Amino acid sequence: MDDLLEQFLIESRELTQQATDDLLALERDPRDAARIDSAFRAVHTLKGSVALFGFAAMGQALHVAEDLLGLIRAGDVAADRPVIDALLDCITCSDIWIEAIATTGGLPPSATDESRRLQAALQAPMANGESAAPAPAKREDPAWLPALLTRGAAAVASAQAANQPLVALRYTPSADCFFLGDDPMAIARAIPGLVALHLDGREPWASATLDAYTCNLVIEALSTAPADDVRAAFRFVADQVVITDVVALEDSDASAPVRQGVGAEIGTRLLRVDAGRIDALMDIVGELIVAKNALAHLTAQVAEKDAALARALDANQTDIARLVGDMHRVVMRVRMVPLGQTFRRFPRLVREIAAKLGKTVDFEVVGDDVEADKGIVDGLYEPVLHLLRNAVDHGIEDASTRREAGKSAKGHIKLDARRANDHILITVTDDGAGIDPARIRAVVKARGLMSDAALAALDDSAALDLIFAPGFTTTAAVTDISGRGVGMDAVRSKIVALGGRVALTSTPGVGSTLRLALPQAATVSTVMTVRIGSDRFGIPMDTVAETVRIPTGRIIPVRSGEAFVLRDCTLPLVRLAALLNLPSPPRTTHDAKLLIVAAGDQRVGIEVDGFAERVDVLLRPMTGLLAGMSGVLGTALLGDGRVLMILDLPELLG
Amino acid sequence: MSVSLEADVIRLNGVCRVEDAEPLLMLLRADPRRTVELTGAGPFHAAVVQVLLALRPSVTGQPGDPFATTWLMPLLSVGEAARQSRKGSALNLGPSNPRLGQGTGLS
Repeated sequence: MDDLLEQFLIESRELTQQATDDLLALERDPRDAARIDSAFRAVHTLKGSVALFGFAAMGQALHVAEDLLGLIRAGDVAADRPVIDALLDCITCSDIWIEAIATTGGLPPSATDESRRLQAALQAPMANGESAAPAPAKREDPAWLPALLTRGAAAVASAQAANQPLVALRYTPSADCFFLGDDPMAIARAIPGLVALHLDGREPWASATLDAYTCNLVIEALSTAPADDVRAAFRFVADQVVITDVVALEDSDASAPVRQGVGAEIGTRLLRVDAGRIDALMDIVGELIVAKNALAHLTAQVAEKDAALARALDANQTDIARLVGDMHRVVMRVRMVPLGQTFRRFPRLVREIAAKLGKTVDFEVVGDDVEADKGIVDGLYEPVLHLLRNAVDHGIEDASTRREAGKSAKGHIKLDARRANDHILITVTDDGAGIDPARIRAVVKARGLMSDAALAALDDSAALDLIFAPGFTTTAAVTDISGRGVGMDAVRSKIVALGGRVALTSTPGVGSTLRLALPQAATVSTVMTVRIGSDRFGIPMDTVAETVRIPTGRIIPVRSGEAFVLRDCTLPLVRLAALLNLPSPPRTTHDAKLLIVAAGDQRVGIEVDGFAERVDVLLRPMTGLLAGMSGVLGTALLGDGRVLMILDLPELLG
Repeated sequence: MSVSLEADVIRLNGVCRVEDAEPLLMLLRADPRRTVELTGAGPFHAAVVQVLLALRPSVTGQPGDPFATTWLMPLLSVGEAARQSRKGSALNLGPSNPRLGQGTGLS
């Protein structure tokens, strides 16, 4: 793909996200001037780059959205619910278009009609906005305003005498604006209704070091023209100018607080790197670990021939091992990204889901600055979205039911993330109807998923756990939102694939809480290697509960299968060779070597031909044709150059 | 070329563009006592205005550009006025073009 287009895609995704964040914040506080500015800037910039690539339909819709945001900024239109809806709709469509551009290189054929619909929706509030507008939000006066008003006292006085509204502006041209062909003085010359002008240096003037081609000017001015006309004069440098209405002078406070919030992260030094490059770096580090292990083998061989040389090599090898370890840690840290990258997409989605279902939900996100490996953060999107959908659809009751139950009509859902040692804990809590274990039992019984006796033996928390069973769904009616055959089992398997666990607690009438525990970084795992004949396979250590040897005589044939007794419990026995469809010759040894593995609620003994060493490996997920292969988590390269398949035992057993 | 040097006077002629800033800066750095003569000149590019603001040379003459006369001259001659008043001949270079607004310039 064209580099420029690729950059466009990255940036436009960020811009739509920024606009979404701002619009959702505006919905909570329609007078947040900083958010209005930020949304305006995002849409403005997006429109600019869209125009650059000639996606006309998208550009037109964004253009109208920008106009609407301009009116909101000027206080002519109130940022009420329908207005925010229309704007969010436009941003959502833009998102869809951006993804279409990413895959097909162009807008979908429906874009023209869609764009017309969006434009109409966006224009509606503008048409009747003028009259319906409330008094403009009282904004904090910027810190530079009092000095400007003092300098222009005469102009202020005469404007007040003539009862003319005053607009103050501060234009800080970018340092490289001369290179971009801007002439800030020509722009200042075009300010309508100019009544006062002041020039200053952004940095104090230094005649000795002045660079004639770096713009250090700050231009401040007062104008009696309407704010929109003044703004129009700055339309090409809208991001470099602050324009504010001068409200009655008595109100302006010299110690006006500086605006904060939106621009907070601008100061951070960031380097945008394609994730693929970090992955490539990670691959190299992985191979370096392998090469380092091979060096250890060599050193051992040399020791037999020349002890002195071996000692020197050994010292060297230790250094290399340490450096490789350091490098691995650093690269892992580079891959750490805040959960916010995934979480920030949820507020809009929750709002949409709730709107579709006619519910109102307060959605709260805590701990989106907690960091985890990028693979984990990206992988969380689907399962967590599923949990949120469930919470809105099945958890939160409709407003009347809630009121009857003595709760507030608005539901509350909280997504909370925190760190615990090297794990991250994520909880999704709702204050909805909760889940009744009795109802779960009834559903399981009706579907015949479990025998009556087994069901009766379950305590309530084990019964709740059944919602993670494949094929389980409690809603009678399949809604548009959830219940499309993808159940909580999909959530559990996704989380397990990320190396995590999921658990549910619920109190009927009070709400439910889902807890996810995930590793912060899943890329290095400890595996146990096992032997089947001459083949070796890896099994992640965290799936193995214990290893035991039992005399073959204690294996009991049970119909077509086998079982054995471990500490007074009868466990099924499965031969790994059979699971993998490898030939399994009759047992020749007196001992059977078993891995005890938890499969769902049951433990299972997996028989192998032999245990080998534990190794730390860099797990590579299967790619390409092998990506869909079940039962295999991935592969790892061993020190001797062999490839080790890492098995997913729970999946093989299921 | 809009910038020329005649004895100790740097003369700006006609429209001053961004490329005039560098020669003007060089001439003023070479001798900071040089005065800048603006009669009939303008409009001025911001880069040129910036050099005048930063090096604060004595500025004389009335530009041909009304915007410059009304708004820039008062700002550019702040140092000038101070120097002149020390010499005992204060110059009043306030806004002089009534077409461009009812206010006074900021100083």
